Amino acid sequence: MKLIQPNRRLFLGGAAALGASAMLSARARAQEAVNFQLSWLHSVQFGGSYIALDKGYWAEEDLAVTLLPGGPNAPVEPPVVAGTALVGISAADYTAAAVNQGAPFRIIGVAMQKNPFTIASLPENPVNEPADLVGKRIGMALANMPVLEALCSINGVDVGEIEVVPTQYDPAPLVQGQVDCLLCWLTDLPVAMEIQGLEPVTMLLADFGYAVHSQTYIATEDTLANRREDLVGLMRGEVRGWEDYLADTDAAAELTVEMFPDAGLDLETQKLQAARQVPLMFSDLTEDRGFGWFTDETVAANVETLELLGNPVSPDLWDLSILEEAHG
Amino acid sequence: MSSADGAMPGRRVRLAEPVVRAANVLVLIVLWEAGARLTAGSFVIAAPSAIVAHIAENAGLLWRALLATSSAAAQGFVWGNLAGIALALVAVLVPRSERVLSTLALLVFCLPLVATGPILRVLYGPGTGPQITLAALAVYYTTFLPVLVGLRAAPRDWLDLVRSYGHGRLTLLGLVRLPASLPYLTAGLQIAAPAAFLGAMVGEFTGAERGLGVLTVRALRALDLPATWSIAVIAAGVSMLAFWAVGAIGRRLDLAPPQILLAPPVDHRRHPLGVVAAPILALLVAVALWQVLMDLFALSPFFAKRPGDVLAFVLTGPAAAEHRAVLLSAMGETLAYAVPGYLAGLALGVGLTAALTLAPRLAAVTLPVSVALRSIPIIATAPVIIWALGRGATGTIAVVAVMIFFPTLVACLHGVMRTPRSVHDVFASYDAGPFRRLVDAQLPAMLPAFFASARMAIPAAILAVTTAEWLATGRGIGALMATTASTSNYGMLWSSIALIGLAALVAHGAVAAVERAVLVRTSAEQLAR
Repeated sequence: MKLIQPNRRLFLGGAAALGASAMLSARARAQEAVNFQLSWLHSVQFGGSYIALDKGYWAEEDLAVTLLPGGPNAPVEPPVVAGTALVGISAADYTAAAVNQGAPFRIIGVAMQKNPFTIASLPENPVNEPADLVGKRIGMALANMPVLEALCSINGVDVGEIEVVPTQYDPAPLVQGQVDCLLCWLTDLPVAMEIQGLEPVTMLLADFGYAVHSQTYIATEDTLANRREDLVGLMRGEVRGWEDYLADTDAAAELTVEMFPDAGLDLETQKLQAARQVPLMFSDLTEDRGFGWFTDETVAANVETLELLGNPVSPDLWDLSILEEAHG
Repeated sequence: MSSADGAMPGRRVRLAEPVVRAANVLVLIVLWEAGARLTAGSFVIAAPSAIVAHIAENAGLLWRALLATSSAAAQGFVWGNLAGIALALVAVLVPRSERVLSTLALLVFCLPLVATGPILRVLYGPGTGPQITLAALAVYYTTFLPVLVGLRAAPRDWLDLVRSYGHGRLTLLGLVRLPASLPYLTAGLQIAAPAAFLGAMVGEFTGAERGLGVLTVRALRALDLPATWSIAVIAAGVSMLAFWAVGAIGRRLDLAPPQILLAPPVDHRRHPLGVVAAPILALLVAVALWQVLMDLFALSPFFAKRPGDVLAFVLTGPAAAEHRAVLLSAMGETLAYAVPGYLAGLALGVGLTAALTLAPRLAAVTLPVSVALRSIPIIATAPVIIWALGRGATGTIAVVAVMIFFPTLVACLHGVMRTPRSVHDVFASYDAGPFRRLVDAQLPAMLPAFFASARMAIPAAILAVTTAEWLATGRGIGALMATTASTSNYGMLWSSIALIGLAALVAHGAVAAVERAVLVRTSAEQLAR
């Protein structure tokens, strides 16, 4: 992806050649302020974005990007619909639900090719495959019930044989023995348990047919029609940032801790998390076509899983045009 | 009898009070440490030594977070209390407006974070706006109610005296009502202090860069027990400091001793139309405000549903019957926990008040624990309560009771102190015992404050039960609302809010009816208009 830099320069050169009026308008929009809504509190989960900000990749695109942290009561969809944020980090299932409720979203990039949902258990009583769930108590937020149902349906497991215990999103119920396993993200609770000296067993749902793009970039149809240049610039900065991230995840973790001294981040945890999310975000597909890419096949698999989740969507929800332009 | 005992009868060496207290605290800490070490494998309790070590290691981080949260809490405290006082003043100066005002105040107080969070974030953008607003929203109602009671707690003959000089309502307010309301204001502000801090912390859940709320979420997920407990200890410590500071200032300002508040009996047979008309009017105003404010701020109908959207969702729309069934069954499950928890919390508050009145020394232990329980975010305390009591009815009811007994306790304690001096003297001259005095003098004096707290506790119980449902039981309307954010089902969210508002109104009406029936005998001044 070394090509991006010269391409960008060529593009700017071309813009300059178009004449003074183009230059003037480019000057006039120098440092367009945009908000970028993250899906959670600051952590290395968004390491590539911090690199883009730190190294000035967005500044080169004439964008002054403000990263808005999320939180337990900060859904991503409202600020994107309201236009407070140009782009938000969502997930295909959340986006599909919002679209079915009338939100005019398009997915313009996919950061996590593999869904991070995982069933974590302890070695004495492990869950290695979906069939192991039978007769177990699983701790999870009830909001995620469709996820469990879809997994069971794909793998022919009777969901009624699993005892669901509503828990808060923390590892304590598993460690305390209130449940046998937890539905969580591969990159947070298992990492925390490992740092605490425990050795959790993890089963990635994506390895058992659960195909749902995660950490997806969403924008409204209106933004796609009227602010393409900003979207391309934002995604170009993301692509460059995440390529740097892949080259050195430890450096990404260090930058994260340094940029957000008030977030209470632990460097070792961040390094482990940064390494753990690499296989979810980078694949043969991204090596071939570039960060964030998706194909008709991966979209079709998503549409199928989303149908099982009760959120039927059309493949048109995914729009590759911004990425195509960003990868140039 | 040994010589040592007989040598100095009545002159046994009494340890100084501070020494006894220090010893008590020391014993508590040792027990805590032992308990933590015994249960270390289950990740529930952090040992005091681990907490101290964590605070020492992360002093800079915690200090910056504390500053961020306290600053938002302090601003919210000021705005919220000013709003509460202003509302109470309007209600007294324009008595006709009172029922509509108090109904609106109640409805706004019932708005859950899951609905207000995204809206405030969209309105304010990045920054501390939502935290300050949520801190203010957490306190205005618990100040409005006691101040309203206080403004009325003036002797009738004083009011008549000022009126007979031809002065109007404003003079009456300045000379008689405001001084009378000061002790009640103190109670309101004391309840507000921990609530504002909690409101600011919870406000950080809507997407903040820094603060103790941010650190709480991080610590819970990271299974970082010392961090979770350190934050809880700091939040509790700050709240206790604020609680005592407000109390100390209040005692200095409270110059007038409590008076006997004789008031002529009120005709409590009200026009049947009036009983229904006022709440209906308030409801209409609320619905109109709901529509107008959302339009005024041009909030997207995707997440800010209007009254018409809710009507379509539950009454006229295609799947309305299905939606109604989901809503009503969730509401039924919620009420099954909320009502017992509400009654248990009130009983606990009154019971503790009685105990503390009979044995004031207990206050040294009880009050700090009560303030602490109220100031630590429920997402940090609920897991401990649930670990101890389970995910069934007991755990949920306990969470509700814990959330509401504190405001009840504080309000009732202040109420007891309103027992007139001369009544105490009468009891003393007849050599009546403390129990007799409690039942016949102090509890009746407490009643107006008790009913104010019974009203305050309605929205508090709703907040607590919905939080417990979200975090622990996964049932009821709390779980329903929590799932709406991840599924963008904002029609269901706003319908739930409307239903909760209606339930709060009905509960409020019921409490008000009981209140009238009781106060007409004991404190008629509260009913005079």
